[in-house]
Amino acid sequence: MNKKISELEPSTSRKRPRDRESEPELEDDVENSRSLSLEENFTFSDTLMALRMMRAQFPRIEKVSVEPFVLQSQLYSSIKDRTQVDREIESLRRDKVLRMFKLNTGQDDHAIMFTDDYLNQVERVLRRMEEKKQTDLTVFEWFKMYVIQSKLDISIGHQELCSLLSLGGKVKEENISQLINAGLLIRQLIDENMYWFSIPNIGSVLKGLSQGRKELLSFLSRRKYKEMMMATLEKKRLRLSPLDMRFHLRDLIGSGHLKTVQTPSGLIVRVAKD
Amino acid sequence: MWKETREREFGNIRPNLFSSRISKSRVSSIRLSNYKEIVSSHRGSVNSLQVDLTEGRYLLAGASDATVAVYDIERATNYDGGGLIAKHKSLFVINKQHEHGHKYAISSAIWYPIDTGLFVTGSYDHHINVWDTNTTQVVMNFKMPGKVYRTAMSSIARSHMLIAAGTEDVQVRLCDIASGAFAHTLSGHRDGVMSLEWSTSSEYVLITGGCDGAIRFWDIRRAGSFRVLDQTRSQFGRRPPLLVRPITSKKSSSTAQSSSAKVRAPQKKLANGNALKPHAVCRVSSQVKTAKQRSHPGMLSSHDRATGHYGVVTGLKVTEDGMYLLSAGSDSRLRLWDIESGCNTLVNFETTRLQSSKAIQMAVSQDSSLAFVPCMTTAKAFDIWSGQTKCTFRGHYENVNCCWYNAINQELYTGGNGRQILVWSPSKSISDEVDEWRKEQATSINQDNWSD
Repeated sequence: MNKKISELEPSTSRKRPRDRESEPELEDDVENSRSLSLEENFTFSDTLMALRMMRAQFPRIEKVSVEPFVLQSQLYSSIKDRTQVDREIESLRRDKVLRMFKLNTGQDDHAIMFTDDYLNQVERVLRRMEEKKQTDLTVFEWFKMYVIQSKLDISIGHQELCSLLSLGGKVKEENISQLINAGLLIRQLIDENMYWFSIPNIGSVLKGLSQGRKELLSFLSRRKYKEMMMATLEKKRLRLSPLDMRFHLRDLIGSGHLKTVQTPSGLIVRVAKD
Repeated sequence: MWKETREREFGNIRPNLFSSRISKSRVSSIRLSNYKEIVSSHRGSVNSLQVDLTEGRYLLAGASDATVAVYDIERATNYDGGGLIAKHKSLFVINKQHEHGHKYAISSAIWYPIDTGLFVTGSYDHHINVWDTNTTQVVMNFKMPGKVYRTAMSSIARSHMLIAAGTEDVQVRLCDIASGAFAHTLSGHRDGVMSLEWSTSSEYVLITGGCDGAIRFWDIRRAGSFRVLDQTRSQFGRRPPLLVRPITSKKSSSTAQSSSAKVRAPQKKLANGNALKPHAVCRVSSQVKTAKQRSHPGMLSSHDRATGHYGVVTGLKVTEDGMYLLSAGSDSRLRLWDIESGCNTLVNFETTRLQSSKAIQMAVSQDSSLAFVPCMTTAKAFDIWSGQTKCTFRGHYENVNCCWYNAINQELYTGGNGRQILVWSPSKSISDEVDEWRKEQATSINQDNWSD
């Protein structure tokens, strides 16, 4: 279990005893956490704990099978000190506990996924390809063994990719196309020799993400005072996104498009003007 | 403040500490000035502001309607509001009607660092003009291949007077005032260069930020950039002053035990970028030696594709001690880089949006503790090491483009698309205000002759 607790600053003065004791009893709490309302579940003191809780609260999507991931902006919404979040993510990334991926849904969107989840996702994709009787899946084995283990960055260059893959055997152009078709790599638009790492099968979820964001923002902007109580807001369902309201709220609050105000009757979510 | 003065009287604190405490307390109380105003003579958005480096008295502003104006910020031209508000009009204005004036927007106007006799303006009409301040005539003119985005001169230069010019063209050009010709060009960027700054610790080092997102360091005495900043290489906060033991390879996280928010462990990831040298080819069918074997050692860095931002680098600012670089990008991120190690210090500045189409000019306070950054219609003061917003300066009606911090009297000047130049100053002490008010009252009583 994670022993790294940053004692220096509790996230807000509303730190509840539940957050502290949820550290050792994380597994039980993980199931309970789905039923907690967003308002109570909003502040964490530690990045890893926040990541685990959010991963547990990842919405279940029917048609697409995607392992849980957390957006970086969601972490910013829950933990006050963003620099500390960045640094803890960086040290966890270097320890290979989690991986970061750059998403194409916006300027600076990053998704964080635990390494185990990512490997499970890759496995799932491979199994589906095997069912379709695709030939020669050895390149995926090389990818898993050599590239994922050693290259922890968000992107990789063509030369380095070839050199790492050739530790397994001879690399052909088709192998790289196979990796791209499976969704593990994406060519960068600005530079044809660089690839982004990506989460396979995530396309529809990302579409839902950007549409859900727009829907939520437009819904709040159309209201008279551009605000709404969080308690009522989180009961709404978004039409265009398979992800739930809590996911989108965290994301938009963390990226600064919405802000929360504490009032005597609870939290209010408001569209932030610049 | 009086406590500080008493301590200084008794000799408990040294003069430097005394002055830095006073200026820190003044900086923290900066707000829109209610006793000083600059009357802007521009009809276009103000793109560039600079106070001269020798006296700290003259503010040079360049605007989009091709006007350049100089304001005296110490002596007011006239007083208003019963003598309480000092208005500073421009000492002179150069506009399009001037025979050698610029025809399009001026993107950057800087003083000659040695004295205020010359100033240099760069404009979208592809020209860089060097003006004589007293006669307001153009003494030298350089033609560039594209729109000039930024010009800079080194304030610590003793052996050269080169103007570095960043344009739409991929090459950075150095123009020499002494000879009137181009000294040399620096190539390596893959797109235009939107921001550039000279280093404050070495007169030969130039830092440029390009539209391709790369930040490069150039030593002008040799070809090619010697460092390219990569945002994936990071370190945690400040480097420790002395290395405990030599860094050999990627260390396991010793930060887990540290409980301080600012981690100071000597963690450095070996630059994977260095291993990416093109000679480690495993190209599939190639048997041809790459061009790397032939290219000049200085041009190696042009193969380095690392980026500092996921968009255009819109602003750069080097701290006065020459150790850190603040960069702003159109991905709405501000990053703080440690210049010596070339790593991202991972300080997260809470910016929601930064303007992405135009270059912005940032300022850093003298003791490198606060960074003033224009964010859309406000200017924000960030604490450099924690990234928190200390103060938000709201006053402009439209986007703010540039800001300049005057360390002598702790004032901040901001210029924006709304054609205004606003002054933000520490609040005047109450006794001063009451005295002025009393003075005004006294004169009005004398004028109010009831009876003789």
